Amino acid sequence: MKRLTFSLTLIFSAAAGLRGADAAPAAPAREAYVMHFDSDWKIASGLPEKVMLIGLQGLANRTAPRFYIVHAADFPWEITGPLKEFYERKHGVHFTELKTAEEALATFARYSKGYVVWDPAVMPTMNVAYTIAGLEDAVVVTPALIPLAARHGLKPIDDLRGRYNGQTDAQIYTDAKSRYWARCSHDKLMLMGGHRGDIRIPGIADWGVREKMFFHDLSANPIHADELALEKQFFSELNPGGTIFGWHVYGKDTEEQHTTLISTYGLKMEGLQSLPNLSFNCQIGFTPGFKFTNHHHVTSEQKLTAQAKVYLSFVQSDGIGIGVWTKPGRGRIPLAWGAIMGWVHFSPAALEYFHESATPADYFIGGLSGPSYMYPNHIPANRFGLLMQEASDLMKVLDERIFEIMDNSAADGNVGNAELTKETVDRYYAAFPDAAGFINGYGPARTRDLRDTRPLISYDYYIDPRRPREEVTADLNELIALNAKRPYFLLVHVRESNDVNSLVEVIKQLTGPVEVVPLDTFMKFAASNQTYVTRYQHPDDPKHFKGY
Amino acid sequence: MVGNLPMKRTLLKFLLGLALLPLVAVAGDPALNGRWRMDPARSTALDGWTAMDLVISADGSKVSLRHDMTWHATKVTATNPVDTAQPVEITDFFRVDQRHMAVYARPKAAAQVSAAWLDNGRTLRVEAQVPLETSQGDTTMRLYQEYRLLEGGTELVLIELHSTRSRPLVYHFTKVPEEAAKK
Repeated sequence: MKRLTFSLTLIFSAAAGLRGADAAPAAPAREAYVMHFDSDWKIASGLPEKVMLIGLQGLANRTAPRFYIVHAADFPWEITGPLKEFYERKHGVHFTELKTAEEALATFARYSKGYVVWDPAVMPTMNVAYTIAGLEDAVVVTPALIPLAARHGLKPIDDLRGRYNGQTDAQIYTDAKSRYWARCSHDKLMLMGGHRGDIRIPGIADWGVREKMFFHDLSANPIHADELALEKQFFSELNPGGTIFGWHVYGKDTEEQHTTLISTYGLKMEGLQSLPNLSFNCQIGFTPGFKFTNHHHVTSEQKLTAQAKVYLSFVQSDGIGIGVWTKPGRGRIPLAWGAIMGWVHFSPAALEYFHESATPADYFIGGLSGPSYMYPNHIPANRFGLLMQEASDLMKVLDERIFEIMDNSAADGNVGNAELTKETVDRYYAAFPDAAGFINGYGPARTRDLRDTRPLISYDYYIDPRRPREEVTADLNELIALNAKRPYFLLVHVRESNDVNSLVEVIKQLTGPVEVVPLDTFMKFAASNQTYVTRYQHPDDPKHFKGY
Repeated sequence: MVGNLPMKRTLLKFLLGLALLPLVAVAGDPALNGRWRMDPARSTALDGWTAMDLVISADGSKVSLRHDMTWHATKVTATNPVDTAQPVEITDFFRVDQRHMAVYARPKAAAQVSAAWLDNGRTLRVEAQVPLETSQGDTTMRLYQEYRLLEGGTELVLIELHSTRSRPLVYHFTKVPEEAAKK
């Protein structure tokens, strides 16, 4: 779902964003190398070599963008191919293909001082090895890859085999903290979670190595008390405004638990653990003269009057890169896109690529909840204003007027509630005086408000990409029947990988006077006739997770 | 007059017995009792759940309809206790469908629920007026369910209609053997 940063402080971060859009871009690399990865991320087969290559990428890209990876078609981030073409077309980058790990080491071993050995039988050693790689400029290898590293003149720097056998994750990372944390970045921390079992996808590890982050996969689940306590130590020792990169560990804890914990410390979450090429992307800025221009459909001052009909608007928020941007159908219906605002800092070309290829039906919005993914009900009051100022500055750079909020701290997927407290809503209205309105939720939610001419509307429906379209049609028609007053404002979250063409067919089957409108138009209509009930999180609302 | 009293009592008992006879005759088929596991391939797509068990237990006119719902590691249990002898009020009446719709049980409001045995006790009919909260405020859904025991007693079909939905929801279940259900 989410995003990344560069900055040392909030103020610096916001200023960097403004610079990114206004100033001349970073000097482009004229020559670079590219590798094409397959889909094999299994520990027992394809992973060890990929772990080595991604770490090597972080070292190779330390001082210049030299090494880029294009992933397979089924990789979670679909933009690696199109973005490479963008670099070629707009920045004149010439890529030379590296076909094997042998070729990659022959090209980039000179950026390494040696190798560190990790043990696939004790998976946390992969993370400890990545931490060492960042600090010592080491290539990360399994025992089977030692001969390959040695052939390229690399000497052993460290060997983790046997050091952590039989230890718990908490014990391993406690030891690693005592050895390495003091020398690691205290602005950024790498949560190398995601899949368990027989695969891992550490696509973001290049970024962690380049930025000398501490890698871990600790749990935020209260049932893992020792891991939780250790992770709290890390969070409390990060600099204010720090960022957690990566993603939580599937099966150990939940997205909701981890994001709640991070937000409680006023930190930012930027994901996923699979997000590739940041060490390359962060070094190529916007093209000269580029300025974000959103496809607004109404002016800020414009007033619209809703008619007696159903107004329907669609939002795709799961990070554009893992959405349906490159799939057929985009542009056929108005669709709002949750751009990853932090990419202004660490992946500007990707944002420029999206804006360049936007159709008039594509509309960008800010979020998620802050300058990156956070749960606002838990952000400390003394951090809220600074974080939202950073978000507001990024919205200005990106020419965005609508801000998206999500707080699943009391939810687990579809259980519990995703509501905002009145205090949180008050804070948003105060922090974003220039916003045209707010939307809330991921799944459906029932926080709603209207202050002056600025609505806060929650999703009334969430489209699971796997749900049969005839059931989606029936669901939407049922909502239209249940909400019988006109106008009815029906906001729909389109989950990543939904097929836009199928949504067009759904719309044709809806009953009643339905009009699909762009999100900014939707908000203007919603401001003109409040047929929705003002509501905030209520103490009696069901809570799946009560927090820390 | 006094001498006729026993005879009147006997007559009353007889009439009462006649009145109750149909109820006794259409008591639920015992094969309905037990744990039923939904077959996703033959059912309306669950939205927001990954699995569903239905646990039916009938005791006289009272029938407990327990839903054991699963969403990945999260498990939720909700029971609708109905009565075939009289209408009942059920707070937080549980609906299987549409966790991805902003349609919530209205807080502290009770659904009016009636139930009856049909088809010689092989079908349980449940009708409910369900109070709901939507983005526009309070509303009510009229809901109609039939729990139909199929021939052989090992399969069950739940058919559900809403006053607000033109497409029925149909869930197929298979009986979980008693020993397996205990695990």
